[in-house]
Amino acid sequence: MSKKNIVLKSSNGIIFEVEEAVALQSETIPYMIEDDCANDTIPLANVTGDILALVIEYCKKHVVVADGDGGGSSSSSQEDLKNWDAQFMNDLDQSKIFNLLLAADFLNIKTLFDLTCQFVADTMIKGKSVEEVRRTLNIEKDYTSEEEAKARQENEWAFK
Amino acid sequence: MSFRSIVRDVRDSIGSLSRRSFDFKLSSQVKEGGKSRGSVQDCHEEQPPLVLIQETPWANLPPELLRDVIKRLEESESVWPARKHVVACASVCRSWRDMCKEIVQSPELSGKITFPVSLKQPGPRDATMQCFIKRDKSNLTYHLYLCLSPALLVENGKFLLSAKRIRRTTYTEYVISMHADTISRSSDTYIGKIRSNFLGTKFIIYDTQPPYNNKTSQVAQPIGLSRRFYSKRVSPKVPSGSYKIAQVSYELNVLGTRGPRRMHCAMQSIPASSLAEGGTVPGQPESIVPRSILDESFRSITSTSSRKFTSDYSTEFSSARFSDILGPLGEDGEAVFEEGKERVSPPLVLKNKPPRWHEQLQCWCLNFRGRVTVASVKNFQLIAANQPQAQAQAQASGQTTDGPDKIILQFGKVGKDMFTMDFRYPLSAFQAFAICLSSFDTKLACE
Repeated sequence: MSKKNIVLKSSNGIIFEVEEAVALQSETIPYMIEDDCANDTIPLANVTGDILALVIEYCKKHVVVADGDGGGSSSSSQEDLKNWDAQFMNDLDQSKIFNLLLAADFLNIKTLFDLTCQFVADTMIKGKSVEEVRRTLNIEKDYTSEEEAKARQENEWAFK
Repeated sequence: MSFRSIVRDVRDSIGSLSRRSFDFKLSSQVKEGGKSRGSVQDCHEEQPPLVLIQETPWANLPPELLRDVIKRLEESESVWPARKHVVACASVCRSWRDMCKEIVQSPELSGKITFPVSLKQPGPRDATMQCFIKRDKSNLTYHLYLCLSPALLVENGKFLLSAKRIRRTTYTEYVISMHADTISRSSDTYIGKIRSNFLGTKFIIYDTQPPYNNKTSQVAQPIGLSRRFYSKRVSPKVPSGSYKIAQVSYELNVLGTRGPRRMHCAMQSIPASSLAEGGTVPGQPESIVPRSILDESFRSITSTSSRKFTSDYSTEFSSARFSDILGPLGEDGEAVFEEGKERVSPPLVLKNKPPRWHEQLQCWCLNFRGRVTVASVKNFQLIAANQPQAQAQAQASGQTTDGPDKIILQFGKVGKDMFTMDFRYPLSAFQAFAICLSSFDTKLACE
């Protein structure tokens, strides 16, 4: 009856105990278990406690839905999950989103990674001016003024 | 075993299993280089230098993740006008531009027009690019738009190109621009033109960029030198030129019957071999702006994609060129220009698909599959006239990939001053538009 639990340890030493099904949404964790590089606790050196908490929250939500429908997911629960995902992302600040993206990549949780990437694309890049994107993502302009003027003129075509 | 070393072991094991080469590189370098921080830095140069004070964590976004983000942006915005976000991404900085150019496929493969350079790249292989042309008779301008809906008479579309008709005493000229309102040869948005002979039976299409087989482009004085580079620019540059890339001929119809026009297009810049199986259009431009200082600075970034199209061709080209210069000019007499002697492969020749005489309707008919609704002498469908290599290769492989009747360009009237233009590989939007413009011109001897 009792499900197997997995203990995850964040980089700042916070311990999380989760059901195996929740943890196994990460494709990285099984390898770590197989490799036996952690006896009972899996150290996640790249993920801090607050981010790991978010990841686990996400995984718990998604594991419940996957279980409950047994594969034949109804459209309403899919819709609910989508709304939940949107709300989940909206509640995060930029720094959390950034770290969540890194964590999703490191832990290799495909759906969370897709969700975060798309959210970043939609909210931080799409519809913003080049200057805004540079400012948001702190990117140094490496064009010369002449190149930029030329590129601007050429790209004017796209915004007609 | 210290905690740190455990962490490193864990990371190494992840790295080797990771789908991302970045992780692998990073972790293996950490291992080999020991404490060397420099070696880690080397493997991801795209990141901003460390001196930069980071205000947001996003400055540290690994390039591999940035690629994933931009890839999703690209996939989710496939239709104009939202497609402009992809263009905006490419303007942020060099590494983004590089990345976007890699992610965004050419129209030939993706069927999508994204960057301005798409206008001079071949159209899709597997579908037609559906466009429409709006004519403004009051100021003699023509605007080409990409269709955003299948409806024939919807007037919103993505602006692609514009043209202005200029009547001279001995010829008519259409100046083609990538700016909707600035249509002038002295503008930086000028990308080519088409000029008729006196009778309006022959048209020559000029591009500001040299065709693949114009090997003297760097040194030769191009015809019709653009003046702007002498007046405006400070640094010396290779001048933008005017290169013949195609000739459109209409057969004389002295009897004056209102029969179908017969067209003949010799595409100097496209070898007939491009329609053979595995054939490509060589020498595709990397940028739509004529050769300039920009070209030099972007060459390092953009050359990879086009090189794969041209590399196999260029070896053949350099070894064969001298014998071919002296060789016969080909059976296609009309297609040969003075410069034509330099070409190494026969040019693609397009001819119009002959219409059938419909006994019941008492008219000439072509099947435009619903894309043309108004009868007009201007309507036409172009198919390849010569496909020697295609046939040879098709025999070898036992199948035909491009049937001889595949319509490469179709143009026709759908309403007052509204025309559809559907094109496909190997024509580019620019070439297709220019050919269609020739159909607008009155032909003294044809009707």
